[in-house]
Amino acid sequence: MAEFSPGLEGVVAAETAVSEVDGANGRLIYRGGYLIEDIVPVASYEETAYLLWHGELPNEKEVDALRQQMAAGRTLNQSARGTLMAMDAAIDPMDVLRTVVSAQGASKTLTKPSLEEAVAMTAVFPTIVGAAYRRRSGKDPVEPRDDLGHAANLLWMMEGSEPDSAKAHLVDTYLVLLADHGLNASTFAARVVASTGSDLTSCIVGAIAALKGPAHGGATFAARSMLDKIGSADNAETWLTEAHARHERFSGFGHRVYRTYDPRAKILREMAKTAAPELYKTAARTEEIALKILHDAHPDRPNATNVDFWASVVLTGAGIPKELFTTLFATSRVAGWTAHVLESLSDLRLIRPASRWIGPQPGKKPLQLAKR
Amino acid sequence: MSGYIPGLEGITAAQTQISMVDGANGRLVYQGYVIADLAEEMSCEAVAFLLWTGRLPTRAELDALSLELAGSRTLTPAATSSLNALPVDTDPMDVLRSVVSIQGVEHRLAKPTVALAIHATASFPTILAMFHRHQRGLDPIKPRADLGHAANYLYMLTGEEARPELVRALNTYLVLLADHGMNASTFTARVIASTESDLTSCLVGAIGALKGPAHGGAPSAVIEQLEQIGAADDPEKWMRDARTRKVKFMGFGHRLYRVYDPRAKILKAMCERMNPKFFALASKVEEIALRLLHEEHPERPQSTNVEFYSAGVLQAIGLPKEYFSPTFAVSRVAGWSAHVLEQAANNRIIRPQSEYIGPEPRKPVPLGERG
Repeated sequence: MAEFSPGLEGVVAAETAVSEVDGANGRLIYRGGYLIEDIVPVASYEETAYLLWHGELPNEKEVDALRQQMAAGRTLNQSARGTLMAMDAAIDPMDVLRTVVSAQGASKTLTKPSLEEAVAMTAVFPTIVGAAYRRRSGKDPVEPRDDLGHAANLLWMMEGSEPDSAKAHLVDTYLVLLADHGLNASTFAARVVASTGSDLTSCIVGAIAALKGPAHGGATFAARSMLDKIGSADNAETWLTEAHARHERFSGFGHRVYRTYDPRAKILREMAKTAAPELYKTAARTEEIALKILHDAHPDRPNATNVDFWASVVLTGAGIPKELFTTLFATSRVAGWTAHVLESLSDLRLIRPASRWIGPQPGKKPLQLAKR
Repeated sequence: MSGYIPGLEGITAAQTQISMVDGANGRLVYQGYVIADLAEEMSCEAVAFLLWTGRLPTRAELDALSLELAGSRTLTPAATSSLNALPVDTDPMDVLRSVVSIQGVEHRLAKPTVALAIHATASFPTILAMFHRHQRGLDPIKPRADLGHAANYLYMLTGEEARPELVRALNTYLVLLADHGMNASTFTARVIASTESDLTSCLVGAIGALKGPAHGGAPSAVIEQLEQIGAADDPEKWMRDARTRKVKFMGFGHRLYRVYDPRAKILKAMCERMNPKFFALASKVEEIALRLLHEEHPERPQSTNVEFYSAGVLQAIGLPKEYFSPTFAVSRVAGWSAHVLEQAANNRIIRPQSEYIGPEPRKPVPLGERG
């Protein structure tokens, strides 16, 4: 039996054409062979999702068809609506998403994941996220708009007013950037569930469940919370120095895969300058000091700023409250999750690794209750 | 970097002391105890305690656990409303996935604990029993605190106390299926736990994985296939024809066991006792299936898996076949939560790699210029 590799680090668990993280060179490649920095200027989130599902960017006719299909998929069914409205408004939005996606996909018979389902699944996320946000703020959910693009509709469903085009653009770019990222933990969870022959909803619910973890999708929230604590550019050095002395981890720094600056973080950093100028100043100073402290402590380690750090600034600029950050991440990543599930169907094999027994020598006899 | 390993076969993904599948010797071990020593001796509550804590409970601990389980059997109003909002023909696995999700919602992230594991474990039978009755237009039955886990499940399904031998049989089934190494649903739970997510999230993911026919979804298919074979004039002819059409025999084969699955052995004996009609046909089908499969692949160790005879036991207990897989979950939730606790206690994010098989980097064309 092979060696135990904690976290399966270095173990290749799938072959994929959906995306590639080239950590050594700081490149993220989306399906079709496109570098993330080349995709951002030319493709909307819908086009990016199409690319991840089909392997090629859509032409105008194909985008129009997809937009229509997505607009039609934005409505919650009775089960999902009933479930959503039964929930306490103050519940963690990720729990709302996990539960309502599960209810929306509850069905009579087991169906094989399909592209059509992937489109509808992706389309419905903003409806749930928007409703969760509005209910938290004591407002009633609004109905989706079929004349808006994916990002603009998300803002509409949150705010209930005509979305600002600059903010919609920020959200759209964020959604493009986060849509896929190799075999991360949530995508891997989706592929493990898919490997049993389960349905698409089960795969996506599992992925949402994994993304909820602070070590994965929760990191954007943590980064913003740290910036809140730091408060201003002037306070960055003091705060970080003290936090480091207390052995606190800096949120928004470090990544298992990238050995250079994360290409997504680079794009988000540029966007942050105009998206949220005040927070940008705090963040830029925080980054400078944090990298210096980390480098001094571990000169051997590549300590780069990760995507969560700058995403937290850009999302703030788009008017998204930090409690919603992880659900925004999910709203983007669902395109990648579904693409991975669909890809895995072509060569489905149960993912069933081994475990190493570290318990007592087998065969001890259980004592009767009275003798314990 | 190593090469792609399909299905992660042979890759060690975790160290565990919860259970060990010793496929070569046909042994299943929970925390050091072989399954045959636990199956008909221990209550499923005691075995859950064993999986969670590493040792069998004392009388006082068992009483405390039983009390806590009994106290956690009622669904929240939100979970009840959600259950009632689902169409009556919904797959009970989807019901379980959704209602476990809403039953376990939280305001802020909580670390997995034994107390939360007890809470979740207690809710599974309630959800299934309530939905079963909802499907039939019947009012839900309130849980009974004086009944054990297995007895209360049957009571909430029917509104009547089940006969002791049926309770014992269900208890044994729940013990037998409670854990099984790094199977796909348990692994899913551990992957989710590795991101520091909450217990409910782990369990919901595991239910989703168990739903797949390649994992937990096949026990009802055993009954369906047996019904077809039973209706045929010549079972062997039906089965030979089926093989020429590449039809899979349900309830046979396992990636790990090289000899007879120790759980199947116990369930087979129970079937013979409790469900003679099923047993008469099933044992004949088993004999033919093993012979035909051996003829096809003499080199492969072919054995009867746990699903084959669990179908007969669950049928004898009176469960409808669409509740076989969800009842598997009622058992396995003990193991899932034990693995989540173990993963959380010594965690590292599970993030394997993928091998890119797409095209080399190239430039995208703007929308207006795409053909």
